[in-house]
Order: sequence, then structure tokens, then C-alpha cells
Amino acid sequence: MAQQAMRAPGPQPASARVPLLYQRRARRWFVELVYVALTALAVAYVVAALGNREYGFGFLPQPAAFDIGNQWLVDFDGTTSSRLTMYLVGVWSTIRVVAVAIALATVLGVVVGVARLSQNWLVSKSAMLFVETFRNTPLYVQAVIWYAILLFGLPGIDQVVNVGDSFLLSNRGVAIPWPDTRVGLWGGPAWIALAWVVAITVGAAVALRLRNIRQHQERETGDFRYPNRVALVTFGSIAAGSYLLLGMPVGIDRPFVDGTTYANGMSVFPEFAALALALTVYTGSYIAEIVRASIQALPTGQTEAAKAVGLSGYQRLTLVILPQALRQMIPSVTNQYLSANKNSSIALGVSYFDLFFVASIISNKIGHAVEVFFMIIVTYMILSLIISALMNILNARVTLHQV
Amino acid sequence: MTNEMPVPDPAPGAMAPPRARRVVLPPYRQRAARPRSVRAREWVRQNLIPSPAGVLLTIVTFVALASLLAIVAWFTFSYANWRVVTDNRWLLFAGGFPHDQEWRLWVGLGFVFLLVGASYGMWSSLGRRDVLFMVPAAAFGVFMLAHGGAALWSTLWFAGAVALLVAAYGVCRLVPREHGPARTLAVRVLSAVLVLSVPIVFLVLMAGGGADSDELSGYLLNLLLAPAGIVGGIFVGIPLAVGRASKLRAISWTCTFYIETVRGAPLIGWLFVALFILGDIMGGDLIVRTMVVLAVFTGAYMAEYIRGGLQALPRGQYEAGHAVGLPYWRTLQLIILPQALRISIPPIVGQAISLWKDTALISIILPLRELIGSSRSAIAQGEFITNRIEVYVFAAVMFWIVSFVMSRVSQRIERSLGVGER
Repeated sequence: MAQQAMRAPGPQPASARVPLLYQRRARRWFVELVYVALTALAVAYVVAALGNREYGFGFLPQPAAFDIGNQWLVDFDGTTSSRLTMYLVGVWSTIRVVAVAIALATVLGVVVGVARLSQNWLVSKSAMLFVETFRNTPLYVQAVIWYAILLFGLPGIDQVVNVGDSFLLSNRGVAIPWPDTRVGLWGGPAWIALAWVVAITVGAAVALRLRNIRQHQERETGDFRYPNRVALVTFGSIAAGSYLLLGMPVGIDRPFVDGTTYANGMSVFPEFAALALALTVYTGSYIAEIVRASIQALPTGQTEAAKAVGLSGYQRLTLVILPQALRQMIPSVTNQYLSANKNSSIALGVSYFDLFFVASIISNKIGHAVEVFFMIIVTYMILSLIISALMNILNARVTLHQV
Repeated sequence: MTNEMPVPDPAPGAMAPPRARRVVLPPYRQRAARPRSVRAREWVRQNLIPSPAGVLLTIVTFVALASLLAIVAWFTFSYANWRVVTDNRWLLFAGGFPHDQEWRLWVGLGFVFLLVGASYGMWSSLGRRDVLFMVPAAAFGVFMLAHGGAALWSTLWFAGAVALLVAAYGVCRLVPREHGPARTLAVRVLSAVLVLSVPIVFLVLMAGGGADSDELSGYLLNLLLAPAGIVGGIFVGIPLAVGRASKLRAISWTCTFYIETVRGAPLIGWLFVALFILGDIMGGDLIVRTMVVLAVFTGAYMAEYIRGGLQALPRGQYEAGHAVGLPYWRTLQLIILPQALRISIPPIVGQAISLWKDTALISIILPLRELIGSSRSAIAQGEFITNRIEVYVFAAVMFWIVSFVMSRVSQRIERSLGVGER
């Protein structure tokens, strides 16, 4: 009524004369209502179908009563730790392997992608062979083959390959020297090592800042300010100075064979190595194609201009081509990182205890498949969100520099 | 493979036969024809020894490649015991498929070959490269499929399937290449058969006393599940993409929720659902549930690629449809989707390849024994317990062949549709 009163005299708007069924807005409401009703029916059906199960997360705090292997930096006990703890240990395993694989795959991908475009026929064909081989075979099969090679191709621990008492290699994995805290010169407590880590971090920040300042000065004035050398010396002296000052709180532990296992140092287990290797190579071959495509997408004028100002081949690549290409490929590479995160769930196939493996053990033992699946999907989504957020920050930073 | 050797400054007269693709240089850049040996030397100089550092790179790469080749050759010819593969051919290819129903496999293979030949004839043409690839593939197929004493029969069946391929190719070449009623009809019939090919093959294998669903295993199962997931995924993906782009908020929100949820968890997680949860919702065989999960999973990814195609279309296309008085659905069907799908063919094929490789994941948690599961059974025999690398390398090669063919087909479709060009 109020609307009619507001309306100015004159020709009536179309909606007043058209029957309800032919009005666009009414039709939309109608379609939407039908759609919502159908969706609600489907959801109700699913809920009813799953209704006769027991629900609740009460199983999580109970003792796990199963054990998982090849862990690092975490303290747990298979029989008494809660199922939630075990699951979180699995999450930590996933994070570890994904972080290693992503870092290595990026390096590998850039190298192979650049090699793919090399002038050298042999190099570019080798890169092509690499990409075509590893992109076109299932990641799972690759992981299983790596695992079989590591388990059966390497000598047993009784015939361990010992390189200078520092690197040990057998089918129990690789053991390498690893930093460890120790009582320093002046017998300080263990947290002194942490103080040194803080000192290194501060040193790195200072060195980076110094490098930026000097680079800026170099650009402004044209004088040589040696940003890289100055930064390196600064970082080195801060790190070494604080190390001596704090009484050498960190030492290097060498591994040795203790019965049938490694002791001290850092061991990389074959399960972890197989999964990380497969993820690295597989993701790397995808990243290589992305790198190649984004380099090829650059206008040829960029290379020609770099040649014209007399840059060498290496300088052309690192100063002109890659900075532009890397910026362009961040979204696609982010997608590959997200895939690598999800692909790490094949860990079950090589007996690496990642979050999916642990979750499926829990579900096998006590059921509650719906809740366990909910936990899996939420965890993967959180990990994906973290990766996306980090890459968005990186993206924002590099696009800031765009001219 | 498609890269020609880069020849510096080609002199058109010297190349025999002249290729249509070769750019004819203006006269001032042409050089006199040089003998082959000079050209070869020039090629080597430019591509292998451009500079001292380049020589070093060539040598290092050569040594690395040669040692890799040596390792591969040592593994293949000396270390490996291929009897684990050849003795288990039936297990790896057909798994538990009943031996007395073998003819069904051959009929199915003949049907698939017929479709391949017809598709080639309809949309493409057989080049020298295709034939060069197919002959060794066929020989390999005969070798692997010939089991026991029935080698002669297998070869005959296989020859029959190849004959069907050639015949279908020849018949479809007769269809005129230009657009017209005859071609439209032929394309529609062939497309319909292609879409229905998965159920048809299932019928051939299972109907009337054929294999039970739990007897479908081995490589055969990969070859059945992947197309089911791909075709199903496209049919799930198109409505999802259109729905996500819809102006009706309830529809676009639910489609977005669906897509993001499915993409949030790895396929292996969804297979977990097929095993433990989906049975309560839809019942059915585990194979059917797996196919549903594959279609639902692939559909979410396909939807994103098709949405990319939809977004790449200028608004004018929708408005034009509106202007000539087409209703929404007809606009979609006649104007929008044909163009959007054309744009999104490369990523769709990429997703298809990805799904093909992902079928290897099935036997990680499901009690379905596709190629990897069968490989595990092959190793479990006491005799071959030390030969796991051989079996898995063989499986990798089997996966590689199909992925490689798919990626080449995708490149060919891209070229013939002029995807990048519009």
C-alpha cells in the first residue's frame, strides 16, 4: 500500500501488468525455493542414512594403544598418549615432509625449467626427458619404487656405508651430523643455545637490512657499495661473536651405529626419504613446466635488451628473466604447493605415519569414520590455508616492487 | 617430440621436401644451399659447443645421461627378473577375471579400438608418427595379452580388434569434413556412443553370466574406472560451473561450497569415504561407489576449469544470446558452453590425466585390486618376493603410456581447435 502511494502517476511499471509467473524476480524466487527444498531433502536423506551411528569426539582423549614410527622432535608414548596427541604427531609428520618437498621441488623445478629452455640441445632434451617421465607416472608408484630402492638397494645396517664417521648410509636410512646443545665454556644452562639462535636471527635481520640500504645507495649514487659482501661479513661476525661470547653452546653431533639403529646425529628414515623424494621430483616436474611457460611468456625484447646492455648469460637469467618470470608464476606454483600438500597423503603406501595414516589407524580401531574424515578434511584445509596465506604475502611483496 | 631440430637460417631450396610450416626468409637473409655435412657441423657447433662453458655443460650432461642409461640398461637386462611380469600377465592385466569368459575382454577391446579408429577418422587423421607409435604398442599388447597356450587365439583376436580400428577409421574418413547435416549426424552418433562407452563396456564384461564386480581387477580396472570418473566428472562439472556462476545466490553458494569442500581433501580421503561412509548413503557395490567418488571428485576440479572458460568469455556473448531472444538455457547450450568448453579443453585433459594417475591410489585403502594391488599380489608369491622393483617399474610404464598418449592427444586437440587463438 505504501509503495502504491509513493508511486508517481503515469504509465505503470512492467511488473504490475505482467502475471506473477512471468516476472523475472518471482521466477528467481521460485527457482531458488525449489532448489533449496531439493537440497534440504538431499541433506535430510544423507543425515537420516547416517543417523544410526554413534557420534562424538569422546574417543580423542582416550589412550591410543598403537605406536607410530620415524618421528623427530616430538615426545610421545604409543600406549598412553591420547589419540589426539597421536593425530597431532601425524599432522607434524605431514608438515615436515611437505615443507621439505616444497622447498626442494621449487629449486629443482626452477633448475629443470631453465634447463628445458637451454640453448644446449643435450641439456634441454635431458630436462624434457625428466619432465615427461615424472609427470606422466603416478606419484604413488614413484614413491613405492623409491622406497623399494632404498630398502632393497642399500646395504643392511651391519654393512653400513660409513663416510668419514659423519655420514652413514644403509637401508635404515641416512644419518648425518646435526647440531646439538651442550654445556658451554662457562657451564651455562641449556637455554643459552636458544639465546644464540636469537642472536643469529637478529644478525640475519641486520645483515639483510644493511644489504638493502647499500643496494639502495648503489642505485642512487652509482658507486660500488658491496652490499652482498658487507652483509655476509656482518652476519658472519655477529654469529661467530655471539657464539664465542655465549661459550660455544652448540656443537655438532656425529652419528654412530648402535646395534640395529642409528644413534645421535640426524637420521633420515627411508619412509620419509622415499616420500620426500617422490613428492619433490613429481612436484618439481610440474613446477619446471610452469617455469618454462612463464619464461616463454616474457616478451623476447627482455632478453634482447639484456643482451644489448652487455649482460652475460647468467646475469641475463638471474637479473632480468627470472625475477620477472618468478613473479608471474606465483599463483600456479601456489597451486602446485597445495597439490603437494594433499598428495602427501599417499604416505600410507610407504608406511610413513602422516596425518592420514594415523587417522585411518584410529578409524580402523574404533570406527567413527565420519568424525575422523571431518578431522582429515579440516586439517588439510587448514594446512592449505596456511600455504595460501604465506604465498599471498609473498605475492603481495613481490608485486609491490613492480614498476 | 614435436620440436623440430632448430636449423639456423634455413635455405628453402635446400630442404627436401619443403614443409609448409617453414618460414620463407627474405632474400637478404637467405644463404646459398650448403651440403648436409656443413649443416650438421653448424648444428653441433650451435647446440652442443657454443662456448667453453657450454662444452663443459655438454660433457657433464653427457656423462650424467650416459651413466643413467647404463644403470637403466643394467637394471633392465641384467638385474631385473622380468618373469615376475611375464608369468603374471593375466594377474596384472585382468586380475581375477574368469578365464573362460576371456572372449568378453576381446570384444570389449574390439569395441574400444573401434571407437578409437572412428574418433581418429572423424576428427583427425593418422599421421606417420601415430602409426609409428601404434605398431610397437600393438606388438607389446599382443605379447602381454597372449597367455598360456592360447597365444595364437590371442593374436587373432587382437588382429581382429586392429582390423575393426582400421575399418572404423576408413568409414569415418568418408564422412565429409565440412559442416553439414551428414557430419552433424555422424558426430552426434559417435559422441553419444563415446559418452555411453563405459556402461557398454561394463555390460560386455558383466552381463549374462560374465564377471562379477569383485572379479574386475588388474590394469583392466584402471582402464574402466578412469574413463568412468572422467566422463562422470564432466557431467558433474558442467552444472557445477554454471551453478557457481549463477546469479541465484542459493545455487552459487552451494556449488561453491561443494567445489571447495571436495578440493579441500585429497582423493585418498574421499576413497576413505567410499569405503566407510558412502555405503550407508547409497549402498551398491564398492566399485560403483568408487566410480561415484571419482566422478564427484573430478567434477569439482572440472567445474573450476570450466568456470575459467566461462569467465574468459566476454559479456557480449550472453547479451547477444539475450538480444536474439534465446532463453537462458538455450543461450548456455548454443552460445556459451561450446565456447567455454573449447577454452577449457587443455586443463580438462590435464585433469583427466591426473585422474588416470590417481587410479593407482585406489588399492592403497580400498580392497579393490587395480594394477598396483595386482602387483602387490604378484610380489606376495614366494617366488617373486624380491622382485618388487620390477613389478612397480612395469606398472609405472603402463601408467606412463596412457598418460603420454593423452597429453599428445590434448596437444593435437588444442592445435586443431585453435584454442589459444580464438
